[in-house]
Amino acid sequence: MPRIRPATLIKAYYESPLLPLLLKECRTLESARNELRWLREHALRPIPHQHQHQHQPNPTWKTRLASLCRKRSRGYPLQYILGDQPFGDLEILCRPGVLIPRPDTEAYVIKASKIIAQIISTEQNASPNPQKSRSTPLRILDLCTGTGCITLLLHAILAPQFKNLHIMGIDISPKALSLARSNLNHNLQLGLLNNRASTDIQFHRANVLSPPPPTNPTSDSEFDTLPPPVETILREYFNVSNEADEVDHLTLSPTKVQCDLLISNPPYISKKDFRNGTTSRSVRLFEPKLALVPPSPLPNTPEPTSRYGNASCCDQPEDIFYRSILELGYKLETKVIVLECGDLQQADRVVDMHRSMVGDEEFSVQIWPFTVEDMEYYGFHSGQGSRCVIIQRKSLIPLE
Amino acid sequence: MLVSIPKLDLTDLVDPGLSPVLLTRARLLAAEHEKLSGRLADSFDAKIAKRAGELAPSTAILKEWDNANESILELKALLEDPETDAELRSLATEDLESSREALPALSDRLKKSLIPRHPFADLPCLVEIRPGAGGDEAGLFAYEMMRMYMTLCSRKGLRPAILKQDVEDGPSEDRLSEAVIEVEAEGAYDLMRTESGVHRVQRVPATETKGRTHTSAVSVMVLPSFPESGSAMDHALNFDDPTSDYYIDPQEVRVEKMRAGGAGGQHVNKTESAIRLTHIPTNTVVSMQDERSQQANRRKAWQVLRAKIAEARQEAREQELVQLRRGAMGGVGKMGRGDKIRTYNYGQSRCTDHRTGITLHNLDDVLTGGDGLEEIMESVRTWMADREVEAMVAEDLAKEEGKKKLKK
Repeated sequence: MPRIRPATLIKAYYESPLLPLLLKECRTLESARNELRWLREHALRPIPHQHQHQHQPNPTWKTRLASLCRKRSRGYPLQYILGDQPFGDLEILCRPGVLIPRPDTEAYVIKASKIIAQIISTEQNASPNPQKSRSTPLRILDLCTGTGCITLLLHAILAPQFKNLHIMGIDISPKALSLARSNLNHNLQLGLLNNRASTDIQFHRANVLSPPPPTNPTSDSEFDTLPPPVETILREYFNVSNEADEVDHLTLSPTKVQCDLLISNPPYISKKDFRNGTTSRSVRLFEPKLALVPPSPLPNTPEPTSRYGNASCCDQPEDIFYRSILELGYKLETKVIVLECGDLQQADRVVDMHRSMVGDEEFSVQIWPFTVEDMEYYGFHSGQGSRCVIIQRKSLIPLE
Repeated sequence: MLVSIPKLDLTDLVDPGLSPVLLTRARLLAAEHEKLSGRLADSFDAKIAKRAGELAPSTAILKEWDNANESILELKALLEDPETDAELRSLATEDLESSREALPALSDRLKKSLIPRHPFADLPCLVEIRPGAGGDEAGLFAYEMMRMYMTLCSRKGLRPAILKQDVEDGPSEDRLSEAVIEVEAEGAYDLMRTESGVHRVQRVPATETKGRTHTSAVSVMVLPSFPESGSAMDHALNFDDPTSDYYIDPQEVRVEKMRAGGAGGQHVNKTESAIRLTHIPTNTVVSMQDERSQQANRRKAWQVLRAKIAEARQEAREQELVQLRRGAMGGVGKMGRGDKIRTYNYGQSRCTDHRTGITLHNLDDVLTGGDGLEEIMESVRTWMADREVEAMVAEDLAKEEGKKKLKK
């Protein structure tokens, strides 16, 4: 990280003595100025009553602002201080212990919603009765939902277009799930979500990794009960009778169990990148590691048998979520799978993983964004930064 | 015939404020109105009704004006008639006077009713304030001007909002490098458009140590603000419609979200949300970073970009007209945005508008957005209306001359 020039620090100090504090985390003067303004607006807002103590004198807003700036200079995330983060047109509440939504994810959600809307409309036009709307609901699965931001934004974008919409958000952390539910209510109250959202959206606790590591150190310490595997939840969700129960197959006629979009922003940071400075201090110290770094598989665990090949021995440890998610995606006959990856290399590995699991005939794969316009529009760097892998079933790609 | 009414000599009577050309125009419009009303009586047609509705006010005023003129003529005839008795004579003299007094007001109203409304007149507006020459002092005064317009608009109940407020590097926040105020009320454009141009301030700045008076400039631009969805607009102003004059092809706008290199995604948590729009054909750049939400920044940036381009296109069209009229008007052009329009002089506590020549000696009242400022703006509005009529008359004259030449 380049050092901040002393001249810049002095300039910042003359502007406001609080600015150099923020500069430490923001790195640029513009960004620090903006954060100071947002923090000031926050400090000027009246304090909610439950936090006020009768005997303690109420600190003035200036004192509060100074202490907030000091907190921020230690790397404490702005969103945890202010309590929320805009995501699309929504306002997502943020609390310590749950990953803060990133603008990258916002871009992937918008892209995914465009793709799915286009596919469904082409499907409808191709059907013999184009006027008739789909009898089955549009089914979306969001794995590792965290604050619920992806689930909620997808609903906000797609609800006007699709009258029959089911979105399910899955997470392993009870903290995240309770925040996701708060976010659903919060945005309903703000009028940013359609009223249908309360019935269209469900949040469930489940373990996405299959099979769940029997004794995962993180889950042991944090959770009192072991989360069920995601397939158990889905079986209930899709109303699959228990007679069709098999170990790792959802045996149902494909027409019935189809999922339209599977989207996920799973933990993807490697242990090395978490420590070597690639991950910023603020993220490392204050955001939950559970949401960032995948758990390491335990030694002596028998390799799971899967009909999609068994290459997990060659997977990088930070990629373990992708294998489980892809497998689930194939089983659910998913039309579109959208996976956020940490960088281009990881995205390439995920594409390779997908090819080794099901080959290339049935699917078309792209790593997005790749055009200069898209990168500029959404603020991506041409060589660095996150990417997403979009896997589409070929029969569904509109012929042009 | 005992009473002989002298032959009407209209040129005698025509109010000097009302040119024959304008009167001809008014008569033509009235004739059109009559024809349309006749047609409307037979069958209703929305288009015709709309046109007739547009013409109705000026026709009504013309009628009033005609009546007034007629009564003046009759009264005059009465006075000139030797048979009129003394009592009647004195009554007639009184009536004549009052009629004569009423006439200029009527002429004025007629004049105004004939002026085409500005295409953006009904729109809300954006007021962009930028310091010009004068360094720090210009930035300070730009901040004061922003406060001035904010209070003026609040006082008139127009709900002004600061869309963008960029401060310059310096010890305080009241040093603008750019500000945009949004006045959401309908018709705000018409109210504020008197303010476009360069405002000059003459005073001893707070930063001056030797007590010298400085002159600096702040440029103000009043832009039309289009509602978010264009479809609700009149056809001509619908910016979503490719055939509209104010349409912006999204292909011609480069949208950038500013971001530095380095790791992304979960690795970092950047709070920057700045958006920059570039309209490539005109190289108009708008950047917005005030909001935490990039969606909100995007929307605001588009709002400002649309406003800027619409204003520029309107300006270009007016410029074309000015070129056409130049011959007829003897080189009188309109005041462009580059012209100095007003001076705020602290030493003499006065505010002078250079277009109308109005000077108020209560600078404080002007700067706090009080009645003084409104008075100045009102005088400019009248001035602008006069200029527009002049231009229109000149245009008509030019047309007529063209016709004469053709006949020859």
